[in-house]
Order: sequence, then structure tokens, then C-alpha cells
Amino acid sequence: MSYTLRGRLESRFAALALPLAAACLVAAALGEWWPVGLAAAMLAVAVGIDLVYHPLLRYQPGWAALPLGLLELGVVMAVVLGYGTQAPLVVALGLFAAAWVCAQLLGHALLPFWRLSYAEDGGELGRRGGALAAAAVAAPLAAAGGLWYAHLPPVVHLAAGVHQGPLVIDRREKLVGDAGAVVRGGIVVAHKNVEISHVTVVGGVNGITVDGMRGVVLDHVTVIRPQLDGIHVRGQAITIKHCNVDMRGVPYGQGIDISYNMDTGETMVSHCTVVGGQEGIVTHSSSAMLEHNRVERTTMRGISMTEMSMGGVMHNTVRDAKGIGILCGDHSMCMIDRNDVAGTRVDTVGGDRERAGYGLVVEFGADADLGRNDLIDNPATLGVFVGSLVHWQH
Amino acid sequence: MERVAVVGGGLAGFVAYLTLLRGGLDPEEIVVFGTDPDPAAAWRRRAAAIRQTHMRSESDGHCLPSSFPGLAVREARRRRSIVPLARSVCDRYHATVPDFLEHVEELRVSSGWSPRPARIERIAPVDGGFELDGFGTFRRVLLATGHSGIATPEELRDDPRAVHSYEPHDYADSVCVVGAGLAAATEWLNALAGGSTVISVRRREPVRRPLNVPRPYLTRRGLASFHRSPPERRAAALRELLAPSYPPGKSWDEPLAHAADAGRFRVEAAVNGADQVVCATGFVRGYGNDPLLRRLVEEHGLETADGRLVLAADSTVPSLTDETRTLAVAGVAAQMAYPAADTLAGARYAAHSFLRRCRTR
Repeated sequence: MSYTLRGRLESRFAALALPLAAACLVAAALGEWWPVGLAAAMLAVAVGIDLVYHPLLRYQPGWAALPLGLLELGVVMAVVLGYGTQAPLVVALGLFAAAWVCAQLLGHALLPFWRLSYAEDGGELGRRGGALAAAAVAAPLAAAGGLWYAHLPPVVHLAAGVHQGPLVIDRREKLVGDAGAVVRGGIVVAHKNVEISHVTVVGGVNGITVDGMRGVVLDHVTVIRPQLDGIHVRGQAITIKHCNVDMRGVPYGQGIDISYNMDTGETMVSHCTVVGGQEGIVTHSSSAMLEHNRVERTTMRGISMTEMSMGGVMHNTVRDAKGIGILCGDHSMCMIDRNDVAGTRVDTVGGDRERAGYGLVVEFGADADLGRNDLIDNPATLGVFVGSLVHWQH
Repeated sequence: MERVAVVGGGLAGFVAYLTLLRGGLDPEEIVVFGTDPDPAAAWRRRAAAIRQTHMRSESDGHCLPSSFPGLAVREARRRRSIVPLARSVCDRYHATVPDFLEHVEELRVSSGWSPRPARIERIAPVDGGFELDGFGTFRRVLLATGHSGIATPEELRDDPRAVHSYEPHDYADSVCVVGAGLAAATEWLNALAGGSTVISVRRREPVRRPLNVPRPYLTRRGLASFHRSPPERRAAALRELLAPSYPPGKSWDEPLAHAADAGRFRVEAAVNGADQVVCATGFVRGYGNDPLLRRLVEEHGLETADGRLVLAADSTVPSLTDETRTLAVAGVAAQMAYPAADTLAGARYAAHSFLRRCRTR
């Protein structure tokens, strides 16, 4: 077929209509968005690649659908992986294969049979056909959009004033605190995809507890003097941004403690301020990116990435930490760059050499890529202990 | 007034008739004028004369109104094999001539094809239609008059050794084949297979391509620039596009190479003393050789270029077509609208355009 550009696109839309609809149905059935993301990626790649094919392929023999399909599959996979769409591989491949078969059946049989002049029109479907194809693509996307909108979590406003906790959130919702809204006794997130913003938590065993719930977002939350951790996360990745954690007077708790989520995606902690506590921000066996945070006056370490964690510690400010400013420890792999650590104090208790007021410590088999960190104003700048490796990036 | 007339009962007329039926016209609304009840009669004779075994057309080589399902599907069903379909997808499917003719016969019977036996000599435009030689007035008329006759080089007209490739013939011991297109190539192989020595006489080296014209010219993509060109440039383009050609491939090249090695095949510049001269020189070209078209051009001053009738992109005659009536052309005379008009794909192109006009009631 010698496609015209319009014909190529209209044929493509017609061929993708069914897979798009199927993806929307699967998404609705599963309550997951990856089928729609996958189908949207297929559509975007298809349109993009058609624009590339058009000037290159004046005639496209039928057999070319196989190598071109494989090429397209590669691009779709790259896009899906690039965007982090969490689609099961087998299902994703199945959807792509079904779409490919659908396109072949349509292009070689159904469209030429339905539209007499399909071949000589270069794949164009005529005024009605083109509109129909576009509508067939638009409809599932619109339906997906509608479904998405309809499934947006309810927004619950927490009125100004003090609310006695602990507050347990056991459904998907967006909890938004009005100015002056305070929960006393902590918040426990017991459902996935919960978002909490502009809420102040005072006290509680932990200020905010998230145990095994995915897709949780904490935005502009403030935690004041819990008994243990300020924000306590286990077993799932989380997004925490613009938070304030006041741990002053809490001798054994961590400001933000994120543990055991290595295989659940990447945690992001950014633009948070932690004051006091043992460790300001700590990860154990987790994948995390800690950036643009400020940590002050901790009694053990400012920021720790340890126990085979993996991730980045970037653009953070650590002040007046006792013993160690930033730690990459215990077989973790850390990218540590553009941090500013100052005022670290020597911890003389116990005679631990690692706690001699280092701005940055890499220890116990850890592997750290170090960039341009400002460690000057500390009793000691960098300590590397017990089989650890340091790579200099600059 | 009967609505639609098809002048010409050959394959182009037959394709148009089937297309009109598929498009929803009643058989009673369509009158076909032809001289032979078999739409493939002329084609059959020519194919038999050159001993053609397979269609040059690929999946489009059939008379159905849509390109799918074609003969590949039919053969796949019959053989219970997907091989014909796979070959079709790879542009490697060529139906056999017997299969094609059998299919034509099936369609002829099932479609109720029954041309009115008449040769239309004159078409007179009247208000809202065309008067056809005393057979009535029709709003929509498709002229599918076919080739006007075989072309024999002037210098060979009186040569007793000469025979046209489209006339029945056997082969002498030495055969000179004049021409370089598909018919000539077929004659080379047939004569060699029959034990003859073959001399190829040609003015230019044949183009090797699968179809009569480059593939983009079969669709709107290639046709768009062709249609935009002024008539003289279109005519010049046709001279290039329609240069003699035959498909590439080992099935053509190997027998010729072996024969050349054995001294049984050679190319020469002029007809020599061979026992037989086969003129694979195709058909006479241009509207002037068709009495109906010539009269139409002369009486109505229709635009022509390089001996060809100038047509609109949809194969209609511009000066005789308007909202109330349509005069369209199919077959070889429609090459100014569709370079491969003398193929089955070309017949389908003209028929589709004509159907769109007929749907404008």
C-alpha cells in the first residue's frame, strides 16, 4: 500500500480503536491505570512513528508490518519504561500483539472490503470513515478520562481546630487541612493512594504512620513531638514533600524513617525540614531520593541511607548534627552531591571513631558516588570505613 | 430515463457493472452495451495467444469491486492453506489465468450480467444526460470501449513472416520477437521452451518492475502530483510510465541466461532473416483509433493531449459532466486519469469514481 499521510493516520486510528477500548475496559475492571497508560503510549508512538514512516516509505509492502511492528514494540517499551508505567510485561505484550493483529486484519481485509476505494485512496477512510476512526480513538480516551475523573478520591477538609486522634484513614481520600487544623495523637494511613496535605500532627506514637500502603503522598504536613518517629513508612514507596518535622525533645525517634521498600518503586523526600531526633531522615533497605531537605540538631546522624539502600542524597542542608552529618552505610549505594553539611559535633560517648564529627561517612561495604559537597565547616570532612568505596564524580 | 449505461462489455465494463451492483444500484437501473456475453472474451484470446499462465497483477488481479477478498482468499479456501494469503501479503501472489477466468465466469453467472448486444457508435449529450445511438437517454454513462486494435510496425505489415503476439500462432525454428514488454518477454520464454532460437528486437531496454506502473501510481499518493500536472506534462509522464516493462525475477532471467549461453537467445537492433517475426508491440494508442471516442472528441471539441483524451481525476470528461449528468471513461482510454487504467486495478478505480457519481441521485 502506498499510504497517504492522512490514510496512514486514519487507518492507524481505526486499528487502535478496539485495543484502546479493550484497555479502558481492563482498566475499569482492575481499577488500575496502567492499561490506559499503555494504550496511550501505543497511540502516541504510533502517530509519531507514522510521521517518520511517511516520507521514508512511498510503498509499504504487507510483509513490512512484521519488522516495523517489532521496531514499534521496542519504541513503545522504551516509552513505557521511561515513564515508569507499571504494566505487567505479559499483559502489555499481549495487548500490543492484539493491536498488531487487529491492524493487519483491518488493513488487509476489513477496511478494503468495507471501503471499496480503500487501496486507491492510500488508506484514507473518507469523510465519514475518518471522523469515525478519530471518534473511535477519542471515545475510549474520553471514557478513560471520565472514569479517571469519576474515580478521583473524595476531598475531605479537616476544619481548623484540634481533632483528637489517632486518626485512621481507611479509604482512598485526599485529606486537606484548613488553616489551623491539628490532629492530636497521630495519623495512621490504612489505605492506598491517600494524600494528606496542610495538616499538623501533634504527638502520637508516630506522627504519621504508613505501613504497606502504596501511592501515598504527604504534602505540606507538619509533625510535632511524636513519641517515636515523625513520619514512619514501611514496605512501600512514598512521596513526601514540603514537610516540617519537629523532633525536639524526642530522644529515640527519627524524623522521617523509610524502611523496607526496595522493590516497590522510588521514594521521594523533598523540601522537608527536620529538627531534632536521633536521625533526621533515614532509609533502610529502600530506594529513595532525598533532596532539598534541611536537617538540624540530630543526636545520631543528620541523613542516613543504610542497610542496602539505594538512591540519591542531593542538595540537602545539614546543620549541627551530632557525630555524623550524612551517612551512606552498610552496603548501600549512594549518589551524594551538592549537599551542605556544617557544624557537625564530635560524639565522644563510646569512643566510636566514626562519630568524630564527620560531615560525610561511608562505611561498612557501602559504595558512594560523591559530587561537590560542601563539608568544610566540620571537625572532620569525609570518613570511609570498613571496605567501602568512594567514586569522585567531579 | 434509465439511469446508468456502461458502453463496453469487456473486463472494464464488467468490473464497473459489479461495482455498481455492490454500490446498491438495481440491475434494472444499469444497461451494459457489449458485443459478447463473455466479458473476458477478448482478454481470454490474447492470454491464450501469448500462452500466459499467470496474472501479472498481484492481489488486485480480479474483477471484484473491492481489493479484498481477491483470488488469494479464494485459493486459500479451496486449498485450505494460508500460503496464498502469505504470498499475497508479500506481493508474491499471482493467480493462474485459468483461476482468473473461472472466477470471471462465476461472477458473470452470479451477477446476472447480460449485456445488450449492440455497438454504440455515437453519444449525443442532451439535457440531463446522453442519448446513446437510439438506445435511449442515460444520466450516467461510462465508456469502457477497450483497446482499439493491435499495433503492428508499419514495415512489417506486409511481411508474410509476421504475426502479432495477440493472434494465435506457433513458433518457427528461429523467431524474432519485436517489443520489450510483458507480451514480448512471455514470447521469448515460450519460443525458447518450444525449441526455437529467439532474437529480441527492441528500441529500448525493458524496465523491470512488478506491475505496469510504479506502485505509488496505483494510489492517491502518487496520483496527486500526476493529477495536478497540466495535460501535456501528464502525457509526457505517461510516455515514461508506460514504457515496456516486465517483472523482475529468476523465472524470467534464468531461462534467458541459459538460452543466451547456448546461443539460442540474442538481442539485435533490427529484424533479420528469422523464419518468423512475432510482433509483441501491443495495441494502437490514442482516442483517434476508437470511432466512438474520435467522434465524441470531434463533435464536442474535447481537450486532448498527445493523442489522449484529457480527463478529470475521477475519470470523467470535464466538459460533458456536471451535476445533472456524467460521462466517464474506463479502460485504456482513461490513462490521463489513472496511468494503469488498462489493468483490473484501473478498471476498479474508474468504476469506484463512477459509482460515487451514480450515488448522487
